[in-house]
Amino acid sequence: MIELKDVSYTYPHTVQEALHRLSLVLEPGRCIMVTGPSGAGKTTLCLAACGILCHEYGGKKSGLVTINGRDVSTYTGLSEIAKNIGIVFDDAEAQMIFTTVEEEILSALEYRGITPEEIEKRLASIMEVTYLTELKNRSPHNLSGGQKQRAALAATLALGNDILILDEPTSELDEHATRRIVEILSNLKKQGKTILLVEHKYAHFRDMVDTLVVMEHGAISAIGAPEDVLKDERIRRIVIPDFTGIRNGAAPALFASSPAISVRHLSYSYDEVPALHDVSIEISAGEFVAIVGENGSGKTTLVKQFNRLLIPTAGDVLIRGKNTRDCTITDLARDVGLVFQNPDHMFFADTVKDEIAFGLENLGIKNKNDVIDAALDEVGLLHTKTLYPRWLSRGERQRLAIACVVAMQPAIIVLDEPTTGLDGDEARLVMEILKNLQVKGHTIIVITHNRDIAQYCADRMITMDQGRVISDTQVME
Amino acid sequence: MSEILQYVHKDGFFHRLHPFSKILFIIVASVMCVFVTSIPFLILMVVALLVIAYASHLHREVIQQLKLVLIMSVVFIIITVLTMPNGATLGYLIPQGVPVIGGSIAITDGAIGIGLILALRFMVLIFAFQLFLISTQPRDLVHAMEKLHMPIDYILMFILALRFIPTLQIEGQRIHEAQLARGYNPGTGMIGKIKSVAPIVIPLVSNALLRSNVLGLTIDMRGYRTGIRTHVRERKFCTGDYAMMGGLAVTVSGFVVIAIFASGLIF
Repeated sequence: MIELKDVSYTYPHTVQEALHRLSLVLEPGRCIMVTGPSGAGKTTLCLAACGILCHEYGGKKSGLVTINGRDVSTYTGLSEIAKNIGIVFDDAEAQMIFTTVEEEILSALEYRGITPEEIEKRLASIMEVTYLTELKNRSPHNLSGGQKQRAALAATLALGNDILILDEPTSELDEHATRRIVEILSNLKKQGKTILLVEHKYAHFRDMVDTLVVMEHGAISAIGAPEDVLKDERIRRIVIPDFTGIRNGAAPALFASSPAISVRHLSYSYDEVPALHDVSIEISAGEFVAIVGENGSGKTTLVKQFNRLLIPTAGDVLIRGKNTRDCTITDLARDVGLVFQNPDHMFFADTVKDEIAFGLENLGIKNKNDVIDAALDEVGLLHTKTLYPRWLSRGERQRLAIACVVAMQPAIIVLDEPTTGLDGDEARLVMEILKNLQVKGHTIIVITHNRDIAQYCADRMITMDQGRVISDTQVME
Repeated sequence: MSEILQYVHKDGFFHRLHPFSKILFIIVASVMCVFVTSIPFLILMVVALLVIAYASHLHREVIQQLKLVLIMSVVFIIITVLTMPNGATLGYLIPQGVPVIGGSIAITDGAIGIGLILALRFMVLIFAFQLFLISTQPRDLVHAMEKLHMPIDYILMFILALRFIPTLQIEGQRIHEAQLARGYNPGTGMIGKIKSVAPIVIPLVSNALLRSNVLGLTIDMRGYRTGIRTHVRERKFCTGDYAMMGGLAVTVSGFVVIAIFASGLIF
């Protein structure tokens, strides 16, 4: 059991409280799901609940946290707390220490003070429960996102603790991988495990959640049985993304007759591993296209061909009539803007303004200040112009990444999973921004696992599986 | 993307060896290549390592480093030609026909010889360490280092340094692609590399620091620092280890005998 009483916390070198007088009880065998906007303090709550804030972080702390009835500050350190609690952080990759999946789990078991026979028994059982048996000799770094999440969960389960804290365990996973994690956690709950889960995908977890907590600005704004919490319409919009009406919000520009993108019999292989097989699609100027499919189906590989980050092994890709084989990446950056899944891969400047100016300078675009203001205004971040990009919340950083691309004025904007890690309101805001850009004449292509985005925002849905386009349909709401 | 210096799961001769045998192997290889100044003997060492790699089914992984090794070899030779001219002049880096500066940097046989020795030593070290790292699971390495009574924090630090190599490699590639997509064209060659530092290195370091924080917490929360470990699946000394020990003993003895009685062969 974990109990937080009136807990407040301020990170070092900051003035704003990350947690504000927060009280919460996690009872044995129960599952609490915590959700809310990025920057609301969800991860900080996880760190507080497992004693990491108390033992490893500086900053201003007040209130009381107890684990199994004992004040966390009386534990000798994280090693002692680790005998009671297992935590899985949101970055699965960062939790992979060893070089094979089996070694990762086995190493965690070795430090539990149990016999070698018990270790072997538990290892086999955990591998089976987390569906990792076939992957035991694979390098964790080469696993898919879902497999990495399962490996991180398995290493934590190896600790054999009754309390589990999971910080966004499905954030980057497709439907299939998410369902697998849900199934594993549901079974663990049935076995009596106590679970504190930070998530945005309430719909997937609804059957196992006993208490739903919505956090905003470091405090709990709603708590209770999910059906009671969701009665409040504002809270409901945060918990469950609602994309209805976005497509009908404004009339899109007429599709031009010439295609913006023409993919002809495209095949691509990484070294000798085929990733795309004979893909042929045409995307008209001004269209809003959603590309859906499971992890590893070839979606990202396909869009990387649009700006020549990858060159076709066979076939051709034509961008506004130009064959990518005959263009440089810089040339194509004027036509195609690509927003990657993790915005933190691009930010390096000291201010938001400089971050956007970087792309403009690369392309020699004039009137920088006006263009920057217009781009920031488009995504609602004009007030952050002088801030350090990495200080922004996840949702704001995602919008800044879009602004960086919009400012470069490409006709085609491609976004890889733009709603990852965002709550319902933030996800809707991002999709509304994209819809506005479509209305202004941009061609929008969104890679997503979320079929609601395809259903309610896009004009067309392309489904990929194992490197092939398996369906290409116009979407009707 | 293939990972640099990471364990490769195979069942070859080198994989079956105890970490102690492998540690001894790289110590012997390193010490010998540092003392030896004979180019034919160093070539023999490189060939011997490649044969061991082939016999251990690790030749493909070792050959992957050949490009880096050859580039570094050329760099070593250029540096020695520029900084250590001695012996007979074979030609000039800037042809004598060029007005004013023609014939100003002499290429001497002595400098090339030293450059070759450095390059071959580098090859021996790289191949030996690579054989060790790609055939040894970090878990076995931790056990071996624990037996040598090294503090657990230092052992974990070493393991994590190795673990961060593929992370930085993959992350660097992603960041590079993200910046290229923003029209960034730092150019090729040394100037391009220097220009690309800020847009690549700043996000790389920032993200790596965040990752290292999570990694540190993971280590604590999995109890690796408690030091109380159940010994399971520990590597035992096998026939291969005794063969390796024997081979190393013969090599070292032979080396000492040659050094005393026929030093011209190796020095």
